[in-house]
Amino acid sequence: MNELPMLHNYLVVGAILFALGLVGFLARRNLIVMFLSAEMMLQGVSLNLVAFARYRSNLQGQAFTLFIITVAACEAGIALALILMLYRRRHSLDVTLWQDLREPTVEPTFDEEPLPPPPVEEPLPRLTPAGLEPVHGQETSHV
Amino acid sequence: MRLPSILLQIPAPGPGRSLLLILVPVALGLIAVYLLLPRPRGTRPRWGTFSAGMAILLGGWLLGRSGSGWVETVLFYALSAIAIVAGGLLITLRNPVRAALSFALVVLSTCGLFLLQAAPFLMAATIIIYAGAIVVTFLFVIMLAQQVGTSDADQRSREPFLSSLAGFVLLGAMLCMLHLTYSTDRFDALLARAKEAVEKPTLEGITNTLGTGNDFFDALHREAQHAHLAPDKTRVFEDSLSALEENWNPPSWDADKMRSALRKLYEEGVAIRNSYGNLQPPRESSFLPPGIDKKQSLELSTYSRLHSNQPSTQPLRDAQGRSVMPAENVAYLGRTLFSDYLLAVELGGTLLLVATVGAIAIAGRRPEGLR
Repeated sequence: MNELPMLHNYLVVGAILFALGLVGFLARRNLIVMFLSAEMMLQGVSLNLVAFARYRSNLQGQAFTLFIITVAACEAGIALALILMLYRRRHSLDVTLWQDLREPTVEPTFDEEPLPPPPVEEPLPRLTPAGLEPVHGQETSHV
Repeated sequence: MRLPSILLQIPAPGPGRSLLLILVPVALGLIAVYLLLPRPRGTRPRWGTFSAGMAILLGGWLLGRSGSGWVETVLFYALSAIAIVAGGLLITLRNPVRAALSFALVVLSTCGLFLLQAAPFLMAATIIIYAGAIVVTFLFVIMLAQQVGTSDADQRSREPFLSSLAGFVLLGAMLCMLHLTYSTDRFDALLARAKEAVEKPTLEGITNTLGTGNDFFDALHREAQHAHLAPDKTRVFEDSLSALEENWNPPSWDADKMRSALRKLYEEGVAIRNSYGNLQPPRESSFLPPGIDKKQSLELSTYSRLHSNQPSTQPLRDAQGRSVMPAENVAYLGRTLFSDYLLAVELGGTLLLVATVGAIAIAGRRPEGLR
C-alpha cells in the first residue's frame, strides 16, 4: 500500500539501526567492529532527532544532532587511539584478551570450540619447464 | 484494511497508458545496457550513454509526475532498506574490511534520509566527518587486521544468543511502543465507516451504518484527542463532530444535510489522520530575525515568506499537514546555534580540543617505544 512516510516510519528505522548497533556492540569481539557498531547506534539516534525536528517544524532536533556528530567525532578519535594502544600491547584486536580487567567474582571465559581450519587455498599452477634452455653465447662489449 | 485513495492524496493511475509509459524507460535502459556491455565489435558508447540518460530522465519524470509524495515514499523505503540491510551486514560479516564498507553504506543512506527530512547541512556535515572517519578506520583495519589464517576476534562472538536477545527485546519493546503511540488503524476504521455512511442513499441507511448509540462519536472524540495535535488543529474537527452529534438522535436533519455534514467530518478527519503524531509547534523562539514580534507563534515555514508579500501567519503545509521547511533553513540553523546554543557550541569546541589532546596522549608514542 502506498503511504506517505510519517514520523512513525522514521522512528522505526532509527530504532532498528539502534538495536542492530547494540547487538553488534555486545556480540562482536573485534575492537574495530565494536567501534563501528557504536557509531551506528549514534546514527539511529540522529535519525530520530532529525525526524522529530522535521515533524515539529523547528530546529532543536537538528542542533542536537550536530552536537551528536561532534561527540561522535571525539569518540572516533579516542576510540581509534585506544584501539591502537591495545593492539600494541597484545598484538590482536580481540577484546576477550582483556578479560583480566573483569570483576574478581566473574568467572573467566574460555573458547572451547576449536576454530574451523582456514580454507585451503588452491595452489597456484606451476608450469613445468619445457624444452631445454639454449646455450647462450658470452656477452661481450667493445668499449 | 485498504484505505480509500483520497486518504493518501495519490491519484490512482489508469492501468493501460501508465503501464506503457513505465515500459518506455525500461526499454531504453535495456538498449543502453546492451550497447554499453563490453564486446569486441559493435559497441556504440555514444548512443548507449544517450539512451541511458534518457531512461533515467524519463523514469525520474514518471516518478515525479504522480506527485511529490510518491517520490518521497519511494526514496524513503529504498534508503531505509539499504540502511537496515547494510546495518545487518555490518554486524554479521566476518571480514572487518567488509564491515567497514557496509558501515559506509549505512552512513550514506542515513544521509539520504536526513536530506529527505529537510536537513541539508546535517547531511553534508555527516558525509564530510564520516568520510574521514571511515577512511581512517579502513587504514586501521588494513594495518591491524590479521593477514593470514583465521582469528578469534573475527570468527567468534561473545555470547551470541544473549546479546541478540538483549538487542531484539529492546527493539521489540520500542516498536510496540511506537505502534501503540502512532498506530492509525482504529482511526482509519472509523473514517472508513463514515465514508461508507456518506455513500448510503437514505437517512435510515446512514443511521444504520453508524449505529444508533453514541459509540461512534465517542470513539472519534477519543481518537482525535489521541492524535496529540495542536488544539487549533483538532478544534475544527471537534466542532463539526459536536454539530453532527447534536442533530443525530433523533435526526433533525434530512439526508442531504446529514450527508454533507458527514462528508465534511470525513475530510477533516482525513486531514487529522494524515498529520497524526505531528507534535505541537513551538510557541515562541528566540532566534527570530529583527523586526518580528517574538510573542507571535511562528513556524519555520513562515520564515521563507518573511521577505515576500504573502502573509506570514499561514504556513505552507504539505499533504501530511507538516509545515514546509524553507530552503534556507541552514541559515536559521546557524542563527539558532549562535544564539540559543552558544554555550553548547563553545563546550563542543572544548570537547573536540580535549579529545584531540587525549588521543595524542594515548596513542602518540615514540616509535622506539614500540614493542
